[in-house]
Amino acid sequence: MTLKTDGFFVLPGAFDDDVFAQVLTDWTVRFGTATASKSFILLDCHDQSLRVSGQMLIETDGTLQLLQGNGESWVQNSTAKGRFVQELLCGSVREALQGFPELRALTGIGAGRVENRSLTILDDQQKTQVRGDLMALSCKTGRATIIRVQRLRGYDRAFVAVCSALTEMGGNADGVEAVFQALFPGMVPYQAKPEVRLGQTEPSVQVATDIIRTYLTVARRNEDGVIADVDTEFLHDYRVSLRRVRSVLDLFKGVFSERQSAELKQVFSDLMAPTGRVRDLDVYLLEKDIYFNLIPSKLHVGLDVMFEQFEKQRAQELSRLSRRFRSAAYDRSMNTLIELFSVTDRLEPGPNATRGANEYACALIWKRYRKVCKLARSINEETPDKAVHDLRIDCKKLRYLMEFFAPLFARKRFKLILKPLKKLQDSLGLFNDYSIQQEALLDFVSQQSNAQGQVQAQLGMAVGGLIAVLDQRQRAERDRVIASFQQFDGPDTRHLFRSLFHHKKE
Amino acid sequence: MKIIACYSNKGGVGKTTTSVNLAYAYARAGKQVLLCDLDPQGASGFYLRVKPSKKLTEARFFEDVKRFVNAIRASDFEGLDVLPANLTFRDFDVFLSRMRNKRSRLKKALIAAGSDYDVIILDCPPNFSTLSENIFKAADEIVVPVVPTTLSERSFDQLVSFFDEHKLRKKKLRAFFSMVQRRKTLHHETMDMMRERYRRRFLKCVIPFAADVEKMGQHRAPVSVYAGRSAASAAYQALYEELENGVVSGK
Repeated sequence: MTLKTDGFFVLPGAFDDDVFAQVLTDWTVRFGTATASKSFILLDCHDQSLRVSGQMLIETDGTLQLLQGNGESWVQNSTAKGRFVQELLCGSVREALQGFPELRALTGIGAGRVENRSLTILDDQQKTQVRGDLMALSCKTGRATIIRVQRLRGYDRAFVAVCSALTEMGGNADGVEAVFQALFPGMVPYQAKPEVRLGQTEPSVQVATDIIRTYLTVARRNEDGVIADVDTEFLHDYRVSLRRVRSVLDLFKGVFSERQSAELKQVFSDLMAPTGRVRDLDVYLLEKDIYFNLIPSKLHVGLDVMFEQFEKQRAQELSRLSRRFRSAAYDRSMNTLIELFSVTDRLEPGPNATRGANEYACALIWKRYRKVCKLARSINEETPDKAVHDLRIDCKKLRYLMEFFAPLFARKRFKLILKPLKKLQDSLGLFNDYSIQQEALLDFVSQQSNAQGQVQAQLGMAVGGLIAVLDQRQRAERDRVIASFQQFDGPDTRHLFRSLFHHKKE
Repeated sequence: MKIIACYSNKGGVGKTTTSVNLAYAYARAGKQVLLCDLDPQGASGFYLRVKPSKKLTEARFFEDVKRFVNAIRASDFEGLDVLPANLTFRDFDVFLSRMRNKRSRLKKALIAAGSDYDVIILDCPPNFSTLSENIFKAADEIVVPVVPTTLSERSFDQLVSFFDEHKLRKKKLRAFFSMVQRRKTLHHETMDMMRERYRRRFLKCVIPFAADVEKMGQHRAPVSVYAGRSAASAAYQALYEELENGVVSGK
């Protein structure tokens, strides 16, 4: 069911009926009797995608209600099979949530009690001139009232009066964000890529420390989700954050002393290592349907066997990883790291530690850009795959560098460069995926084979079929890499790179 | 868009109650309905608590689409809007008679201003005039309440003759018996006779004379709203069904 209202207001705290009635002197205000108070759960995913997009999803008594700040709302049954949007029952809420990330699960991010009342504004003939409803939400940390009002044709004066009365009472018409703030004032939305503020001349050791500390914190905010196995994005974000830390250590050469750099690289490599297998298995399982579509159904029996194995392995690997995340030793080591990066003076500076951020950024990015171009221009039909893999790594490094230092540069021009770079990276990513998947499949088969190197026929056929298809795709993607690079290597992008990062000292 | 006129050349036969209850039945069936109160007394507006329009005068009704549209008011019921009457509507005739294409003016105004609606119901004043000629021309269907008495019979005869004389399409006339009192022999006799004489003109549905209908003035709402299970409510629903779908309800 979809409902459209014309006015949407959020009043922090409780709603004062008398004040509202006193402001509207020309009309009679009538409130309906309140419904019995019900408990509600506020649903969103970990990164609060709904909240960020100005929406609010609440579940009460087997009903899901989705609210938008423009007054639109949807209601449907909530007896869901799963926690993902695509697993909700068919209905208007699910329909309205179509753009919601498929990999993110909905979880309760807050709870409280809700009470509904109707609102009618009448004239002296007892004719309704404005209709509406009030939704009073309360929880341990706050209260808020959502007031939705409907404009009735021909009664604009009353509608305008009601809206200005609500504004006068402190009503906020900017959408659902005010509800979150009133109910859960301390709640900090999770951000996978928080902006790290940088100054143009900030010493680069400070930049490195800030970035590392930020991403360590981001990583930590994903641990609980991994343990509870809410969705696969928690582990993914955890790994991406650590990868960013590692790339700072790797790319910001000379910022820390050689000894400390080497030591830190080892520490973070050790942190990353135990997560790799679970993530690989997550990816295979997420792409299960794709694998099945790659080969004819005659060969599916073998795939069933393979995916059963994957699921079993994932459960084992995840419980191992969860145990690690819950261990006191892990907690201690993470806390020590955060402490280490809380200020710069606990770190040993290297020769580049005091270089100004902007100057250092330009030097790093320009150098990496030149390297990418040189490598990419050398790639043709005959170059070995390894060159393409190297190009992927260099592009990734370039991208990280640009993202780290983005706050120092003009946003618009930056976006112009990033777009073709992303496209090139997508292509390189696919090329790499096809190649890694083939290796992984061969690995899997060798694990499953007996002492004589024989495997079950159906499994062998399925994997053989997959490898054949993946190999073809990989070759096709290679052509696309060359095409994407040519786009990236256009005169506009070249000019932008030069003007942003290469100021010749003359 | 369909235009239904609720018309009778005789007063006090239940035009306004029919207009209001029929409009409500259409709205309840999910249609977007505009009820136009063309009767300067503004009784259908009164039944729906909508005050008379101050700004919409007869001239603006026909010439100023924007004013016409702005004068429309939402009723308290989903899908039902009202164009309230204005006292100057009593001069519709004088105004219309001075205009060119004077017989098709109403239709033009309704089509221009009423495009949002599936159904427009006209609550008409009781007389033969330039306005009623406009109504006959504009309406797709003309619903005529007939009280089964001698005087009403005479009025209906006059209406049919008027259609004959002016070569109007008699097929538009959808008469029904209104305010029928079952215990009155005269009512039964008149009904039988008229059904015999005007075989194709009368709907099967009959609206009874009922206290519930008279109470509309107190409740200021359609009968089905405050007496949903009454015979009158069922009768208006049946009238809607028969008009819209040609279905005659069992009762």
